[in-house]
Order: sequence, then C-alpha cells, then structure tokens
Amino acid sequence: MKKTLPKYYPLIPVFAAYLIMFLVGFSIPGMWQMVALLAFYCALGQSWNIFMGMTGYVDFGYVTFIALGTYGMSLGITYLSQYEWLGIGIIVIGFILALFLASLSALLEAFIALRLRGAYFAIACIGINEGLRYLIEGAKFWGGSEGLIFFGALVQALGRETVNQLTTFWADFSVFIIAALAAFLNMHYMRSKIGYALTAVREDEDAAKVMGINANKYKTIAFLTSGWLGAAVGAMAWGLKLGYVYPGDVFVIHYTVECIVVVLLGGAGTLLGPVIGGLIYGLSKYWLAVIMPGFQLLIFAPIIIIIIVVAPEGVVGLLKSKLKGTKLEMFIE
Amino acid sequence: MALLKLENVTKRFGGLVAVDKVSLEIQPGEFIGIVGPNGSGKTTLFNVINGVYRPEEGKVIFDGKDITRMPAFKRTPLGLGRTFQIPRPFGSASVRENVAIGAMFGTLADKVTVDNALEIADRYINMVGLEAYRDKAAGTLTPVEKKLMEIARALAMRPKLLLMDEAMAGMNPKDIDGMVKFIKRIKEEEKIAIVSMVEHIMRAVAGLAERVVVMNQGAKLVDAKTEEALTDPRVVEVYLGHPADESKWRSDVWKEVRNKDE
Repeated sequence: MKKTLPKYYPLIPVFAAYLIMFLVGFSIPGMWQMVALLAFYCALGQSWNIFMGMTGYVDFGYVTFIALGTYGMSLGITYLSQYEWLGIGIIVIGFILALFLASLSALLEAFIALRLRGAYFAIACIGINEGLRYLIEGAKFWGGSEGLIFFGALVQALGRETVNQLTTFWADFSVFIIAALAAFLNMHYMRSKIGYALTAVREDEDAAKVMGINANKYKTIAFLTSGWLGAAVGAMAWGLKLGYVYPGDVFVIHYTVECIVVVLLGGAGTLLGPVIGGLIYGLSKYWLAVIMPGFQLLIFAPIIIIIIVVAPEGVVGLLKSKLKGTKLEMFIE
Repeated sequence: MALLKLENVTKRFGGLVAVDKVSLEIQPGEFIGIVGPNGSGKTTLFNVINGVYRPEEGKVIFDGKDITRMPAFKRTPLGLGRTFQIPRPFGSASVRENVAIGAMFGTLADKVTVDNALEIADRYINMVGLEAYRDKAAGTLTPVEKKLMEIARALAMRPKLLLMDEAMAGMNPKDIDGMVKFIKRIKEEEKIAIVSMVEHIMRAVAGLAERVVVMNQGAKLVDAKTEEALTDPRVVEVYLGHPADESKWRSDVWKEVRNKDE
C-alpha cells in the first residue's frame, strides 16, 4: 500500500478563505477596512507560524521584523520621493529596503539568538527588539523618536489620486498576497527537506545534528523567511498605508503577543490555523472594540487560557481529530 | 587503508579523563565489539568519533580524512551512522518520516529527493519488520521497536561505519536473540563496518564480533580477536574485580558461545 497524498491539497481551504475574505471586502461596501484588518492578522499569524510551527522556537521579538519593514518602506519613500523620475519605483525600492533590513536583523539574530534555546531565546529576541527601539530613539537616526512622516512627500511624488488608491486598496490587497504567499511557503517547506530537517531539530536538536542535519542552517532559513514576510506586512500595512512611522508605535511587543494569540487560537504549526485564528481574533477584536472599547484584552486573556486548556492544539487541532479517517482529512494540515 | 583511525585520542571533562590516549583502527566491513564496564569511556569514545565532542588530544581520521575538528552534521554524510543507547526518535514524526530523515541527510544527501527518501525508508522499515507501524508516531513505539527504528534510520543513511550504542541493553533474551540474528543479516547484506558497544561481555558480542576492544577507565585495555579477548585474565579482572580461576572462566564463556551457535 502506498500513500502519496497530493502534496498541496491543504492549501485549498486556506486560499479559499483568503479569496472569500477578499471578495466580501471588495464587493460589500464598508467591509473593506474590516477585511483588511482580518487579512493583517492572518498574514502575521501565517508568517510567525512558519518559524514557530516548524522549529518550536517562540520568537517574542517578532515585531522587530514588522517594525523594520515599516522603516524600510518609510526610509525609501522619505529619501527617494525627491527623485521624480523614480515614480512608483520608490515603493518598490522601499519594499526591497524593508526586506533588506529584515534580512540583516534576521541574520544577526540568528547568529546570536538561535544558539539559545527555550526561554533564553525568547528573552534574547525581546532584548534585540527593545534595543533597536532605544537605539533609534537615542541615537536619533531615521528621525529618532519623532519618527518619519512622509505622507506629504508621497503625495507630492505620485499625485493624490495614485496615493489614495495605493493606501486604500493596494496596501491592503498586498497583505492578502503576502498571507497567501506565506501559506504557500509554509506548505512548500513542510513538504521538502527543510520541513523534515526542522521536524528533527524540533524534536531533538542534538540527535538531529548526529543525523547529518545542519540545524543552524535550517533554522536560519525558516527564521529568514518568517522575517521577510513580517517585514513585507509591515512595509505595506503600516508603512505605505499610514504614511508615517514612530519607533514607539512599531517596536511594541503587544503585536508579537497578538501573533501568538492568533496562532494558538487557530492551532500552532498548522497551515489553516493562522487563518482561523486570525479570523476569530480579528473579528472579535473588531466587534469588542465596538461594543466594549478598551476591554478587548481583559476578555481575551481568559478566552486564551480556556482554549489552551480545552484545545491545546487549537481549533484546527480539534478539527483534524474530528476529520480523521474521512475524505476531508487531506485538506486539513 | 583503515576506514576509521583513532590516534592517541584523549577527551577530558575537567579533571576527569574520560578517554585516555586511545588508538584504534577499523577496517571496512569489519565487526568490532567495544566492551567495558559502566563509566569506562565507551559512549564518550563514540561521541568523539561522531563529533558530539572534540578531543583535547589526538586525531580522528575517517576514510582518509582528518575529521577531528569537523562538526557532527558534516561527518554523517561522509558515512558515519549511529544509534543511541537510549533511543532518540523524532517523537511526533511517523516511523516512515524518521527513517526518511536518515536517508535524506546521510551519505546520499545530495542525491535523494523527499520521495526517494520515503521509498528508501520503506525498504528499511520492511527490513527491520516495522511495516505495521509505518505511519505511527515514533514516540508511541515500545523501546524495542524504537531500537529497531533507530537501526533502520541509521541504515537508511547508507553509512560505511555504523556505531551501535548498546543495541541490546534492556532487552529480554528472546529479543536479544532476534537482534543478534538481525545484526548478522545487516552485516552480510549491507557490507558495512559495525562497531557495537555493550556494557557486559555477552554471548551476543562473542557470537557477532570478529574483534573485541575492552575499555577500562578510559583506556584501551585489550584489543584482540574475540576469543582471546574474552578469556584474557585482565578482562576477567575488570569485570570480576579480582583474578578469577582462569580455566573455569574460559570454559564457562565458551560453553555459552557454543550453545548459542548450535
């Protein structure tokens, strides 16, 4: 008996969810902002989950990547908008700059922090995040604590009409693309040698090394991928969309915690988990902010505790065990 | 040319000399038993060979290459396979995935795809007789099954030299018999050198190994043909703590070995 599951089936429900979200936002007036918020959480969850799900390392400093992505885009626009001939190219350059900053930070963090395990790793990541924030504020580069405000420059360079379209549609739309790309990369890694290597590393790093696995290399691949995607989300959803950046706004651990909540709700290490977690978290946050402003976290804390106790594998973990043995099984990962 | 050559290898932990100037040569296809009481430095020696520890002195040469300072993960693709004393399966992964991981990162690492590796895994799973558990999580296997799985995983690496750390510890006599037969088969079919390490001089080693190295307090005590090593008075002393009646020891051991072979 040979069981070769069609490799990428589990992507179908994920892509379907993103498509439905997009269509709902696109066709129903007034829904776009909410859908964009949901996509933001899904994308972040999906990106964070690539590293956490595959390696078992909890990156508490993940927001560093989002923040650096925001700064990459902001710096690109701030310093290049004076060159008119670049046109829309400033956004492309800003995006590349975002990925570049994320790579630098990821490689540096990989070099320092990935040697540590468990809680030490988490603390090192928080340290790097806080350090960067105070470095920017204290050393007064990149605008220091006053941040960069570049919306005006952007309008001047590209015209009000284009900027309107960019900030109200394309910035959000690209978050969907990033989320889908994150899901695809996650799936692709899971089905390739990288996934097997990281499974081994997650279960027993020392034994994995004796099996011929270059643990640091594979961890760095996952870390870098996760960082790039986070930076991409930051560049688009915070940088381009808002038109300004303050260090005190972006280097905030709170966002890492949101990533963790999204992933734990949906199911850590699963492909569909971040989507479901992102939807549940985003929707209830949106809704709670309307009916009980300021109380979201107070309500969320006990919900998270209950979920971790009742369904430690998250919603998707529950779903998986329910669907075991049925034909739908191959679609859930 | 020797497949593995240790030259005066010394490994210290603080003031403790765990491995003391050990020199050893292993030829391709040879079967060597390393025996020695608890704490005699056997596992440390294994760890020095496959790169978990770096020795303070001496050289490790594998297949003509000096690998003394090479990290563990680079040694495996050269052809060093290993099983652990206490099995270390990748618990949440299935048996098939565990064995496939061996194939993916062993000597064939550059050549196999994931699908190839899964096929290779199936072959070795059948060889160790775990086909019924192929899709089960490796963490749920019994200790004996885990040992078999580890052997399959190590074999899937296609090593030139297989280091087996206490392959038969904690097994009942029936399982030991099965394992001995199985290891004999591996040696014949795979044509690889095997170094098997055991704490006690067991009939198993006597029936399997061509050569026995006896370790005591980190140093190599005896390195000789199996029959000579097992009857060496120094070995008897290490195990019994005092010189024994040599002729009685000799006859007892060989009675057991012969019974085994018949």
